[in-house]
Formats: sequence, structure tokens, C-alpha cells
Amino acid sequence: MFAIRSTKRAYLAVASLTVGALTLSALPAQAFSPRSEAGVSATTIKLGITTPLTGSAAPGYNKVPAAMQAYFNYVNDNGGVYGRKIQLTVKDDGYLPTAAVANAKSMSNGVLAYVANLGTADNNAIAKSPVVGLATNRIPSIFINTGYSGFADRSKFPTMYPIFPSYMMEAKIMGQYIKENFAGKKLGLIYQDDDFGSDALAGFKTAGVKFDISIPYASGSQSAATGAGWVGKLKAAGAEVVVMFGVSSATGAALGASAALGYKAQWILGSVGGDATTLKALGVPAAVLTGSIGASFLPGTTDSKDEYIKQFQDINTKYNAGASFDNNVLVAMNSAMLTVEALRAAGKNPTRESLMSAIENKGASFASAAFSPILYSSKSHVGYSGYWFGKYDSSGAMLPDGGTYSLYTTDSGAGGVVKATIKRPAMPAKGLPNNS
Amino acid sequence: MNNSLVKKISLLATSALVAVGLVTIPVAAHAAAPMCATANYVESCGGVTSDGAKYAMMVPANFNGTMYLYSHGYRYAIDAPALGYKVSTILNNPVPAPLPNNDPTDQSVIKYLLSQGYGIAGSTFSIEGWNTDAALATDSELISTFKSKYPNTKKVIAWGESLGGFITQALAEKYPDLISSAGLACPALGSVEAELTVAGDFLWGMHTFFDSSIKGHNYSAGAAGEAEAQADIAKILGATAEIKASLTTNTWPHNSGAAGTALAAIPPRSALLLVGLMAGIPTKSAHFDATTGPGSKNSAAYTSFALAASPALAVLENGAQSAILGVLATLDLERQTGGAFFDNSKTDYASRLDSDLTTYNAALSGNTAIAGMLAFMNPANPAAPRWTATAGAPAKLRALVQNSGVIKVPTVTLTATSDPAVPAGNTQWLANKYAAQWAAAKAKAAAAAVSTGKYAAPKQMFLPIWNQAPVHYTTFDGSGSPITTTPAATGTNHCNFTSAQWIGLANILAKAATDGHVAPTSEMRALARKAGGIVDSRYQAPLLPFYGSN
Repeated sequence: MFAIRSTKRAYLAVASLTVGALTLSALPAQAFSPRSEAGVSATTIKLGITTPLTGSAAPGYNKVPAAMQAYFNYVNDNGGVYGRKIQLTVKDDGYLPTAAVANAKSMSNGVLAYVANLGTADNNAIAKSPVVGLATNRIPSIFINTGYSGFADRSKFPTMYPIFPSYMMEAKIMGQYIKENFAGKKLGLIYQDDDFGSDALAGFKTAGVKFDISIPYASGSQSAATGAGWVGKLKAAGAEVVVMFGVSSATGAALGASAALGYKAQWILGSVGGDATTLKALGVPAAVLTGSIGASFLPGTTDSKDEYIKQFQDINTKYNAGASFDNNVLVAMNSAMLTVEALRAAGKNPTRESLMSAIENKGASFASAAFSPILYSSKSHVGYSGYWFGKYDSSGAMLPDGGTYSLYTTDSGAGGVVKATIKRPAMPAKGLPNNS
Repeated sequence: MNNSLVKKISLLATSALVAVGLVTIPVAAHAAAPMCATANYVESCGGVTSDGAKYAMMVPANFNGTMYLYSHGYRYAIDAPALGYKVSTILNNPVPAPLPNNDPTDQSVIKYLLSQGYGIAGSTFSIEGWNTDAALATDSELISTFKSKYPNTKKVIAWGESLGGFITQALAEKYPDLISSAGLACPALGSVEAELTVAGDFLWGMHTFFDSSIKGHNYSAGAAGEAEAQADIAKILGATAEIKASLTTNTWPHNSGAAGTALAAIPPRSALLLVGLMAGIPTKSAHFDATTGPGSKNSAAYTSFALAASPALAVLENGAQSAILGVLATLDLERQTGGAFFDNSKTDYASRLDSDLTTYNAALSGNTAIAGMLAFMNPANPAAPRWTATAGAPAKLRALVQNSGVIKVPTVTLTATSDPAVPAGNTQWLANKYAAQWAAAKAKAAAAAVSTGKYAAPKQMFLPIWNQAPVHYTTFDGSGSPITTTPAATGTNHCNFTSAQWIGLANILAKAATDGHVAPTSEMRALARKAGGIVDSRYQAPLLPFYGSN
């Protein structure tokens, strides 16, 4: 990479090379003045997000930025992060990787970090684009909104910090669930035919699940017509249990067609496309959704007894007026809280490097709503690792099987699926992190 | 042939026609003192160098002692009747300065430089085609001739476009004492092999997927080879026209043969995009931005077009230009090297495509389709044989003048990030070279500081200016069809720079020549912005596939 350094930075480089040989007085005073970090001023910390606000994949996910900003505003009104207010720059990419790259590039010099960028293909395009130079320019991309397992590979994505359990984990856990509950049934699968879906395929394969019919779809090709085509194939194959591993709009197309064509099957919805509020907004009849099975790593959005849910609901009411509290809002606020904790852990004058160091060294102790532990360490960029299963009721609420949350964890390799004990850090007082 | 396409392709070759009827320059018949005439306070001289290249020099009455030496870009080595191109015309019309927007009638850069007191000079070179060895001799002789005629010449600024950029960099490397700064616009750089590998990969892809009768390499000697090349051009344009039509039908071109049968379930546009990506053709073109669709941003049509169709259409628009240049340049270099030099028998296209397969997954129709196309391209597939080189030809290609990438004079590049003919990866190659040179210079200065106690910062000598295409610029008519009759978007097409951009580059080069270095100061950044580009030390263009990934 060609990088031109300012004279001041050149002096700094010299200082580091010659500190043993020169007296301090031999160097210009400005060599020791603190240099500004991208996105950090005396009063603000700027973060950036590129995500679909428009386009066929936008439904549901377009609520993420506002919900994150709502939580940040709540924190800002309560002192910010060591006095600095968080500003979130929001860019719409329409779920187009090319637009996501352009957005990331446009923000690269003005934000401390990207946060919660959405989509496997989009994040992959950003990470691998020489135009952005995510790794070479050491730009953190934290708590990304995708579960592609590859992003936890520190050698390939050294500045990326996924938080969701991987799609491979989800498929492995789902696979075990299927084997335990639907043995002998004819199985169908609809999946997005890219890294998102291939991760799931690898997980199901590891779990030993074989589908009688698998239907791939290219990202962006989903529509009512394609949904009808999928259902036609499922019906023809006699699939009794169908796993839908796609975005919300694809899930909506499949369920909508299922209702329209009178196709009765046991649907199992992947976490990416399983938000009931979004599906109903897409026109999915409640009758189709009721009884469907879903998976989540966070508490149910209607579980007001959960301290995190209650706090986030309150913040949503006060700072995100008019937005219904659904899984997208919950995920966003949870990621926003993690972000504040990471910023605090990065120190009073955060830098890109200190932010990444904080996540690696302290991230495992961050409080969050998820039931799964966080696995970050100096050697791991793996975030959460587990799911619980539930069923949608007639209102669209997903309730845990048997009335209590049962967490299953695994890894993105050949490891087994185990039922885990839920140990979750307590909610910080008033939902305001006070870690350091 | 499609008229608009002919026009675009002709732009690659017609800029040398500038002098016809526009600038009256006396021309001597052989190497001798230049013949001159003065009008409107400008002395215009013409002559012939010792190797037979015709040249033009123009000097205003208020000559300030600085001369701009211009090296023109690649001109086809053979006549191309379908494009209205004649080698003899090129060889009779020397070009003393760039032509904005490739418009042979636009003399605004010439007028500007003369109005500022600068002298200008340029030649036809003695031969057309890839002519670096000859061009170096011509340029250095022309500098000498100019200085003899105008002894008060103090500085020479060398600049050139496309191949002329390659020549200018070579001149700066070999004769740094002759020039004070170097301007490389839309430059080819490094090795001609890198550039021709782009062409070879694209032509092999067109041959393999869409028309196996496209020869693409190993052209016959003499007139037969020229006929084969002309036929290839027609076939490539025919295939691209069929692919364009297939956007609504998904029907493969009629000559697609085994590929069309094996991959019938995959849209041909996906295969074209794959070919473009593996060759390194940009996915933004004059009219297709790979991010915009028709109608509402929330409509399925918008997403579908932006995600799936636009990148392929960009490759189609770009590929037609680069393939034709590639055919004629391949013929030219095969004649110089004695046979076929392109060899992809060991090329691992799947590995090369790694990141693109994610970014353009939807446009490539998903993993299943990608796997099918890669399997078809597998060297083991007898339906997709790889091409091998003629013994000795690659070595001869590599023996031609190459750039080392060492920067010896203040050097400025002006590069469109979506140049289809000479991709921006050429400039990135030089940027990477200079990054190493700059790091070594700083380390040397730091080491010196240890003993002297004072740090003498090295002078920066390289400034890349990137002319980026906007994120969104595709437009649509009322029926939702893309409009392709508007001027090409900035940052696209080859050497498609405006008068303001050329003049901006000229001003930056003048300052660099005076300063003896070129740094990204606020003044330089402002000048770059005026030139329609940006200075962004963190920007990286994708390297040409020949050089690997960034």
C-alpha cells in the first residue's frame, strides 16, 4: 500500500526508531503531542454503519440504525462515553456489496470504526476491497450483523469482530433439533446461495442432516413469484419439515406462498429471517407463522420480565418513537450496548487499536442480553456461540420450548452440540455501562 | 457495427489526428533543422527525427523556459478500416499536447499552455503499435532538438497518456536528468505482459464461453493474421450484442457451443461477468455503475438490475473496448515476439476470483452457478482447452522495455479508477513500488538521524491522483431501460479526461518541476480537486491479475 505520512507522523516514526539513541530534547516538541484519531474529537466519537435501508432485503433490517442511535442517544443524555457523545453515520447500501464498499470507503477517514455493518456479502466485499483497505488501514469493523463463520478467522479478517453465533453453529444446533424432533420426516431446505447459505450447508452436513430437497436462491432474486416456485418444488417433493435459511424478504416470500398455495409444512425459520414483526409487515398471515419454529440467541422480544428486554423497551419508547420493539430493534440495541462497553474499555482517548485491543482482552466480560457467553480473546474473534429454540404463537411472539430457555452451544467446526448453562452478566444499572 | 461502439472504439485511436487542419506546423522531410512559421505570437515548428518520427513544437513569444513534452498513447500498428483508422494518417500528424475527452478538435490544452508561456512538443514516434524502445529514442532526441532551437529552455516536463505514460515513466527512469517532472495519465506501467494478460484472459474467456471461433491469439503471419484479427473484432462485437439481448431471454449466443449447452441454466450475463472479473475488467463503465436500478429504490426491479444486471452490462460495455484493443495489440506484439506469448495453461482463475465471487455473487447467479462455470473452465475439461505460448515468445515479450518503478523525478499520475483499457491497477503497481522506495528513504533518513541528531525528512516524489467514478450515475428512460447515449461518467473510459483535468495536471506538474518534489500538501490537494481527482493516500486500486492481489 502507498501511504503518505505527514511530517508530524514521520517524526513520530523516527522517534520510535531512535528513542534509544537520542535525548528527548533533540526531538521537536510536536513529536510528543497526541495525534488525533479518526472519528474522535474532544466532544464526539463518530461511528459508521452501512446497511440496507432500501431494497428487497431492507424490510426489518432498516430499523437497525435508528435503534442503535436511540440507545446511543440514551447514553449521550447520560454523560456519553467519558464525556464524548456518540454519533452514528448511517449509509444505505440496499444490500448491494458494491454500494457497501462505496459507503465504507466514504466513511473510512471520518469514523473510529464501523459498527454493525449488515450482510455476509457486504461485509466480505468491504473486508476484501483494496479500495477500503479494512485490514491494511487497521479499521475496526465491530459487532457486524452477519453470522458467516469465516469472519472469525483472525488471519483473514484481523479487524473484524463478529458477534452473532455463526450460521454454521446455528445449522448444527438446528440439525440436532431436527434429528431429535423430526426423525423420519421428509426435509426441505431453502437457502441463500452464497457464503451465508454455504455456511449453513456446512453446519447441516456436520450435524448429519440430509435434506430431501434443497432449493438455493441467488441473493436479490426473491419475490412472490420465486416464493411460489419454491413452494411448488417443496410440495412436489413432499417435504414435511422445511428449513428457511434466508433474509426476511425471502422468508416472507416463502411463507406468503405457502399460505397462498395451501401448503402445510412445519417451518423452521433461521434467525436471520425470523422476525415476526417484519414477516407480518411483509404480508405473511399469522396463521402460517403460528406454530413455526424459530431460533434466537437473545431473549424473546415480549419477555418483559427479562431485565435487558425491559430496559431496551423503555429506551425504545423514549428514544425511538414509533418503532415497534422487535427482534431487529433488540439486536441493534444489544449491539449498541456492546459498542459502548467496547468504547469505555478502549480508554478515555480511544483509538482504533485500543478499541480492538479492548474487545479482544475484555470483550468476554461485556454485559449483554444474549444467553450465550462471548468468546472473544486475544486469540479468538468468535462472539456468541449458542441458540435456544421456540415456537411462534398467534401474536407472533416466539416463546421457548417448554416455557424456559434452553441454550445449546457449539463451535464452527466439528465440535458437538451441548446443552449449556445460562450464565449472563447482570444488566448495568439503568442500562448504562460503567466498565473500564 | 454499432455506430456508438465504433465511435467509442475509435476514440482509442483518433486523437493523433489533431494537427490536421487545426495547427499549421511546417514539416521537414527528413532529419534536419525544424521548419518554423510564426502566427499570433506563436512559433510553430515541424521536423523529422533521425529515426523518421515527425514532430511538432510550438513556442509562444513569451516563452518562460519550460517545455511540456507529450507522448501519445497506443495507436494500432495496422489499418483498421472498420474504425476509420489508418496508420499513415497517424504517422503524418504529430501531437504536441493532450486532447481533452479524446476530441481531435479540442485545442484548449494547447491554447492554455501557450497562453501561460510554456512551450510544447510531441511526435508521432517512428512506428505505431507497442513502440517503447523507439519512443524513448525519439523523445530524448526531441528534447535535444527543442533545446537546440530554444537555448533558453530551463525545464522539460514530460507527460503522456496510456502507452505514452509508460514511455514517460521509462524516460524518467532512463534519462532523469533530461526532465524535471513526469505526468502519467491513464498510464500503462510496469510490464506489457501484465497489460496483455488482461486482454488474453478476456479473449480466452470470450472464446471459451461465447464463440470458439474467436481466435484471440497465435495469429497467422502477414495479411492472413490481420484478417483473422479483423474477423475476431467482428465476432466479439457480435457475441456481446447477443449477450446484451440475452438479458431478457437468457439465450446463449449462437456460437457458444459446449458452454451454452453445459451452462444453459445460467444466464449468459453471469458468464460474461465471470470472464470480466477473471481478466480484471472494471465493473463500472461509462454508463453502468453497478449500484443503480430503475424506479423506486424499494422495488424489486431496482435491486435486481443493480445487483444482477448492471455489473454484467458494465463488463459488456468495457469489454468491447478492451477486447478490440486487446486483439490488435496481441497481433502487434505477436509479430514483435515471433509467436503467441499468452499462456494460461497454469492460471488458477478460481483462486484469482476469490473476493469477487462474494461481492458479485448475486450477479454471478449464486454459488451453484459459480461452481458450474468454474468447473467448465477447469483445465481438465476438454471443452475448454487452455492456450499455450509459442516457445521463445514470452521471453521476447519480457525483453521489451519495462518500467522498474523507481521514481527519480517528481511524478504525478492521473488515473480513472474504472478505466477499461488500461485498468487502474497499473498505477497501483507504481504506487506499491514507490511505497517501498519511500519507506527505504525514510529508514535511511532515520538511520542518519541517529548519528547526526537531526532528522532530514526525505522529499516525496510521487503523487497519485485518482479520478473516481461516482457511486450512482446510471440513468433510465421512462420504460426503465438504461440510457447509454449520455457522455461517459467521469472516472470511466480510457483517458477520458476533460480540459480542466489536463490543465490541472499540467499545473501540478509545473509546481512539481519547480519544487523538485511533489507532496500531498493542501495546495496540491486543491489542484487535484480542480483536476477532477482526489489525493487519497489510503486509496488502493485492485492490482492487475498478473501481479496478484493487493
